[in-house]
Amino acid sequence: MSPSPHHPTEREAFRLEVAIGIVLRAGVMLSSACLALGLVLSFSSGTASAAGLLLNVGIVALLATPVARVFVSIVEYVKERDWRFTTLTLIVLVELLASVVAALIFERKI
Amino acid sequence: MTQALIIFVAGTVAGSLGALLGLGGGVFLVPFLNLGLGFPFTVAAAISLTTVIATSSSVSAARAGKHLINMRLGMLLEVATAGGSLLGGLTAQLISQGTLQKLFGVLSAAVAIIMLSRVRRRNVILDPNIDPGVLGGRYHEDESGCVVTYRVKRLPVAIAASFFAGNVSSLLGIGGGFIKVPVLNAWCGIPLRAAAATSAFMIGVTATAGAVIYYGHGQLVPALAATAVLGVQLGSWGGMRFGAAASVKWLKILMAVVLFIISAMMFARGLR
Repeated sequence: MSPSPHHPTEREAFRLEVAIGIVLRAGVMLSSACLALGLVLSFSSGTASAAGLLLNVGIVALLATPVARVFVSIVEYVKERDWRFTTLTLIVLVELLASVVAALIFERKI
Repeated sequence: MTQALIIFVAGTVAGSLGALLGLGGGVFLVPFLNLGLGFPFTVAAAISLTTVIATSSSVSAARAGKHLINMRLGMLLEVATAGGSLLGGLTAQLISQGTLQKLFGVLSAAVAIIMLSRVRRRNVILDPNIDPGVLGGRYHEDESGCVVTYRVKRLPVAIAASFFAGNVSSLLGIGGGFIKVPVLNAWCGIPLRAAAATSAFMIGVTATAGAVIYYGHGQLVPALAATAVLGVQLGSWGGMRFGAAASVKWLKILMAVVLFIISAMMFARGLR
């Protein structure tokens, strides 16, 4: 059975769900670990810069997780040759990148 | 240290209430941080948004592979939620704190009314033999042991609600599920559990578009966000684990009352 672009096979849909689940779980674990460690360090004396770095890495990992999830979806939709959903997810990625650009512009102003 | 502990506990309470009620918890966290601890509204919203992202990611990771999340519908509606959220994040910087508080007052009253109107709502079992189409879905429901199949109706309504939900999300620091879930369920033919799972899935991307902008403005304080995120993670884990035993009906009524009080307090502060 050849996959039609508008009706993904059960297996393809499942593969995408599993891939997304892995990305989300990895992102949550990485960011939670950095945030927890950063907090512990910030309460112990003398390691303020390391704590600050870890906390910021944790926040960036948290914010990057949904972006990575969108990226993985794009790759999967390209593999499936589902151009309609490739386009839609690309638009979502562009919107997320636009917010990053806006954030960088504001950061420079401060 | 004491402040961190307070935020951690507040996050745990908000997270467990959120998990029990099917909300993100932001609707409780924002007023606590803003009115209770006196943080500027934008700082409170930024902290809340990071907890919302964490909840969305961990809940969706646990649900992935069960077909409950409608990925295609989610990705399509994300175009609208992320667009709305981007706009909300940009406009939040231009709006005064008083106006944001008044908006939050209106919003929390709306959440309370929606919650009360849905106290008795049950899942509709649909004919499993229909063709789900491009955007519909099919999943196995554990409670009834049935396969639920559904088609998506009135897509433009879903898109409009998603844009609005995304806008409110980054403007006020909440997930926005309380707007999307009732609309998807009542008007677009999506069973409640699939609507809730799909909404929770979208919220991560939605909140990120807003949170990134707050981060760029220096309003997202990493240490505060870290305590809140860890608290909410613990709370929602506990809420999901032990929530089955709780009487959700009375909890909903109680929380609706709490939300009306929050609404009045936010409004009073906004008018000052």
